Amino acid sequence: MRRVDDILNTVRMLEEGNLDVRTVTMGINIDDCAHSDIAKASVNVYKKIHSLAKDLVPFCDRLTTKYGLPIVNKRLAVSPASRLLEGHRPEDALQIARALDRAAADSNIDLIGGYTALVQKGMTNGEEILIHSLPTVLSQTQRLCSSINVGTSRAGINVDAIRTVSDMILKIAEATRDKNGFGCAKLVVFANIPEDNPFMAGAFLGAGEASSVINVGVSGPGVVKRAVESLVKDHPDVTLDEIAEVVKHTAFRVTRTGELIGREAAALLNVSFGVVDLSLAPTPKVGDSVGEIYQAMGIRKIGAPGTTAAVALLNDAVKKGGIFASAAVGGLSGAFIPVMEDHALAEAIKEGTLTIEKLEAMTAVCSVGLDMIALPGDVEASTISGMILDEAAIGVFTGKTTAVRVIPVPGKKIGDFVDFGGLFGSSCIANAACPDGNKCFIEHGGHIPAPINSLRN
Amino acid sequence: MTDDLTRCVISVLAPDSIGIIKRITSAITDLGGDIDGMSQTVIHGYFTVILTAEFQTVYTKEQIRDAILNNFEPGDASVMIRHFEEIPPPSQIRKTDRYILTLTGKDRPGILKTVTSYLADNNINIEDYFFTIQGDHVTHIGEVSVPSEIDIKQLQGELQTLVSSIDLVATLQHEFLFRAANDIFSIRQLFKMKK
Repeated sequence: MRRVDDILNTVRMLEEGNLDVRTVTMGINIDDCAHSDIAKASVNVYKKIHSLAKDLVPFCDRLTTKYGLPIVNKRLAVSPASRLLEGHRPEDALQIARALDRAAADSNIDLIGGYTALVQKGMTNGEEILIHSLPTVLSQTQRLCSSINVGTSRAGINVDAIRTVSDMILKIAEATRDKNGFGCAKLVVFANIPEDNPFMAGAFLGAGEASSVINVGVSGPGVVKRAVESLVKDHPDVTLDEIAEVVKHTAFRVTRTGELIGREAAALLNVSFGVVDLSLAPTPKVGDSVGEIYQAMGIRKIGAPGTTAAVALLNDAVKKGGIFASAAVGGLSGAFIPVMEDHALAEAIKEGTLTIEKLEAMTAVCSVGLDMIALPGDVEASTISGMILDEAAIGVFTGKTTAVRVIPVPGKKIGDFVDFGGLFGSSCIANAACPDGNKCFIEHGGHIPAPINSLRN
Repeated sequence: MTDDLTRCVISVLAPDSIGIIKRITSAITDLGGDIDGMSQTVIHGYFTVILTAEFQTVYTKEQIRDAILNNFEPGDASVMIRHFEEIPPPSQIRKTDRYILTLTGKDRPGILKTVTSYLADNNINIEDYFFTIQGDHVTHIGEVSVPSEIDIKQLQGELQTLVSSIDLVATLQHEFLFRAANDIFSIRQLFKMKK
């Protein structure tokens, strides 16, 4: 027999640590759907996506049965929709967006990413149309998610694009006022956006990818939390390097199960297998929190000095375990810290132990950035621009991915509570400690040149 | 069938002690036997081993048994010997997939009978089985070969319904999950091996 301990350990990971596969995301290149007649382009988009993705959910359900392993989310990510809007009129954007939304709905998929524009250096006509359409599109579609890349380590940071996107964020919030600005939860502003990220809302299929591909996001944070908690309970004198070892071993296991599911799903769907993304993605559920991992490590109040080090330890150990487990690691591959989606982080914001400035420091050593943060409804566009600029600067100048997903909540003030329900969670409204005084800097606009270390040739 | 053996299956049951395998294997080796298969286990202090061996010389069952018993105190060991015949494993006769069955819950008499009867009735072969008891909580782990044509979802449902009546929780998961989570090799290799 296989080692009984191995079997029991795996069963315990499932039962006590909620081992799962967080997402199986099918990437589909829709560049060939472009047409000078937007109605025909929309039909092409719907037909292509639906024909490829209609079996995604049933096949994933079959794998869940076979392995007894939940696949929490089944998602779609298409190539940047801005390319389909080249040469079209602004009012055409909604038609493409609706086709994407309907294709997802008819394939039983809850979220589809790829309403995307890559504008790190400049904007094409199609990208400009897409960005300006965001308030309309994100308020009139249900499942469509958007991402805008405003900087790369090779190109620098497009400050003009950041200013435009910040204005759009306020308009999206207003357009979805009846849902507390929820439309903004479906928009991520990136620096160094990965082309194979399977996680929403920032998933899209990059130009360097196969025409259709399966990318997988590994299990949620509960398994790692359980492993750390159990180690600390059994050995209260454990050292931090021993905690890192346990995280590493656990990451190995969850990466392997993720790759198993991903490869088999890709084979069933007859598409390429892409990557396993090692990111620990929380949900608002207790026991499914990245913040709880820091607490299990000994950071009782998240945001206290030492929190950034805990994030760095966790992020690094996850990568080391994952990279040994699989040759196909990609995407974002780090710990997420989305405030509203993680009850422990949301609680820390409410208690005031965690601030936006501390979150910014944490983003320097983990994946993504200021994620799912509810801002006051009267926040200024320049404040949002400043947040995006700072995150982009961290990403561009350290050579990593960073992002901002903030939600100005119309009519709400600092300390008020907002609840989006479901996976998007809840939190108190927060803001930067010093939200103004940056206007002159932002209004210069233009472009922040690429860092010197981008000149590698 | 003659009692004269050149190749045989030997099983020994005895209280566990240091050197017990040496006493069995040296008896066989001293008769010129070549041991080519062996599996042993210990339960609650009782040791048992099954092994296969090939002899250069023809012996009777009694001669082999006596050689082994001579290395034990009188009455300590039970030895069974039979003629070796090629038997294809039941799971190789038809196309099957290997699954791990796990049962957890409160221990009570009759669990094994209930579960193994169901498996047998559904043509599912038990390749290996183990259970452990902690207090009144029991965990059963069975490695089973499920005929490929069986609907796994239906099987899982029926198993759960069956064991719910005796307050147990059942899971049935493809063995690849356990290999992926615990073994060190490329996942791609797993699918190649399957082919």
